[in-house]
Amino acid sequence: MVTFPLQIVTPDGLIYDGDAAKISVRTIEGDVGILARHIDFVTALGMGVCRLDTEESTRYAACMGGLVAVIDGKVRVVATTFEWSDEIDIERAEKAKILAEEIINSDSDQAEKQISQARYRRAVIRLGVSQRF
Amino acid sequence: MADGKGLEIKTRMHSIEGTRKITKAMGLVASSKIARAKERVERSRPYFQIMYDTLHAIADSNTDFGSPYVKENTAETVCLIVLGGDRGLAGGYNGNLFKKAEEISAKSDYMVLPIGKKCLDFFERKNAEIISREYAVAADLTVGRCFEISRTLCDLFLRNEFHKIVLVYTNFVSMLEQTPADIQVLPLMANSDVAKKETSHSILYEPSGEAVFDAIVPEYMAGLLYGALCESLAAEQAARHTAMDSASKNAEEMLDTLVLQYNRARQGSITQEITEIIAGSGE
Repeated sequence: MVTFPLQIVTPDGLIYDGDAAKISVRTIEGDVGILARHIDFVTALGMGVCRLDTEESTRYAACMGGLVAVIDGKVRVVATTFEWSDEIDIERAEKAKILAEEIINSDSDQAEKQISQARYRRAVIRLGVSQRF
Repeated sequence: MADGKGLEIKTRMHSIEGTRKITKAMGLVASSKIARAKERVERSRPYFQIMYDTLHAIADSNTDFGSPYVKENTAETVCLIVLGGDRGLAGGYNGNLFKKAEEISAKSDYMVLPIGKKCLDFFERKNAEIISREYAVAADLTVGRCFEISRTLCDLFLRNEFHKIVLVYTNFVSMLEQTPADIQVLPLMANSDVAKKETSHSILYEPSGEAVFDAIVPEYMAGLLYGALCESLAAEQAARHTAMDSASKNAEEMLDTLVLQYNRARQGSITQEITEIIAGSGE
């Protein structure tokens, strides 16, 4: 399998630094899969599942916000949050989901509702990733 | 020994001892905080570095100047984000930072977003135009708050309130060395020498250069801010640790000399008394 160098970073540290065969991420435009020898490419990340295939294994993660860049064959995923499916705190996500739902259904102001909407989506994605994979 | 000199020395010794206790305690607090701050710096550094490098690599080979974030402009008003400390007694930490900030602000009109209480005080005293007083406590700043700041600044930038954003912070080089630094956050500019090298080389932006920059830049700025914040907090603790350490050492030295002086004075007064007694008995 042809591999390419991949780095995944978040403010909490370097999550992955090594070779990968394929990575697919949810961008603002939809899912994008990147293989080796990809053209130089930059886009912003949306919120969704990330699937990483290496020569040994396949891993899934919840990946939200940030950017993905391919420059000179090197792929960098600079994400705001990136959590492997087995590292997601399910309890916390459940709680966040319920709290966000409450705020959305209450009569709080628009700005607060918008923030909660984003929180709700993040929680749903986290739960989805941890339950599915 | 009831004479003034001995008493005076005793009082001084007391007060120095008190000071030494304080500096020692502060030094200990700083050194225990350093461990955590250092860990945070080390964890955030790759993000900071890769984010910065990637964005500049993009700017270097950029051919799409649709986004206002990459447009070069003749900077008239500069926005300074100054990351300082909340408290003093950290040696030259705040002073060096302000010197750096003044160096930059002297060149043109500026507005400032101070982070850290000392920083806010400093710019208030200078009557500078302050964008927000909300972020005055540096220690409370989380990633979420960094995003908030970043969004606010991007809005103001797009509304042309200022034309350039410069971040002034302190680099945590090592426990003994902290250097104030500045980076230009916006507009994103190519390093001119690298950019000329390869202009044929172009990047595919999905869906468009403008949309990508609009989505990425707030994240980029928040990332830089958070990274700089981690650096600054660690630098502050390290500076305080060093300052308190040398203050404690100075206090100890002073105490040593004072003890010597005190003993000498005491000895002197004893000798004098004895001489007086002997002189009296001789008659």
